[in-house]
Amino acid sequence: MSYKEKNVAVSLVTFTLILGFYLKQITHMWRGGGLTDDVFGLWATVVVMGIIATIILTIIAHIGFAIFEVIRTGDDDPKIDDSEDERDRLIDLRGTQVAYLVSSIGTLLAMLTFALGRSPYVMFSLLILSGLVAQVMGDIFRLVLYRRGF
Amino acid sequence: MGSKIGKSRISNNIRKLRFYHNEMTQEQLAEKVGVTRQTINAIESAKYSPSLELAFRIAFVLDSPLEEVFIYEPKDDPI
Repeated sequence: MSYKEKNVAVSLVTFTLILGFYLKQITHMWRGGGLTDDVFGLWATVVVMGIIATIILTIIAHIGFAIFEVIRTGDDDPKIDDSEDERDRLIDLRGTQVAYLVSSIGTLLAMLTFALGRSPYVMFSLLILSGLVAQVMGDIFRLVLYRRGF
Repeated sequence: MGSKIGKSRISNNIRKLRFYHNEMTQEQLAEKVGVTRQTINAIESAKYSPSLELAFRIAFVLDSPLEEVFIYEPKDDPI
């Protein structure tokens, strides 16, 4: 598994956890009497969590990979290749295309709910949801391309 | 004969040519052509078709003509 592939795996785990947290919170709000201004607070929480969790999990993962390399190679200062080549860039591009597609469909559906008379909170919740799902789908697609090839 | 690359009916002889070049490792070849070892492995195992530039660089390092490193087989071509 290359350095870039590991980064994608870390991103997938991070955003899957955040997606799970978001779905749990939004379901809780929905059952507690519908969506309110609290949606904006949840949006801010998700954004902050996304940034902090990505940084922390990336650091932990890199330390873990470095320890693994030390054990595997027996070298106290193992060389970790963090370079990016044309295959990494192409896979990243295709993953981004999938993420954009999912995000666009989600945005369209969110607008549609608003146009059909639902509350703007519903539209906003769906926009956040589509962003998170898009990130997860993009990462899954990238990992599939790394594993299966193209 | 090397492995098939995806559905493009392109095979390659990189593994064999590496062997003929003092048993060059994937890592050594990767370093010489400027990609990661995983990319060389993906090319050899038919999981990635390289760009034309990378294909030329691989052929140059392996000191072989491009058509000896990569072979296109148009057997089912509708043309």
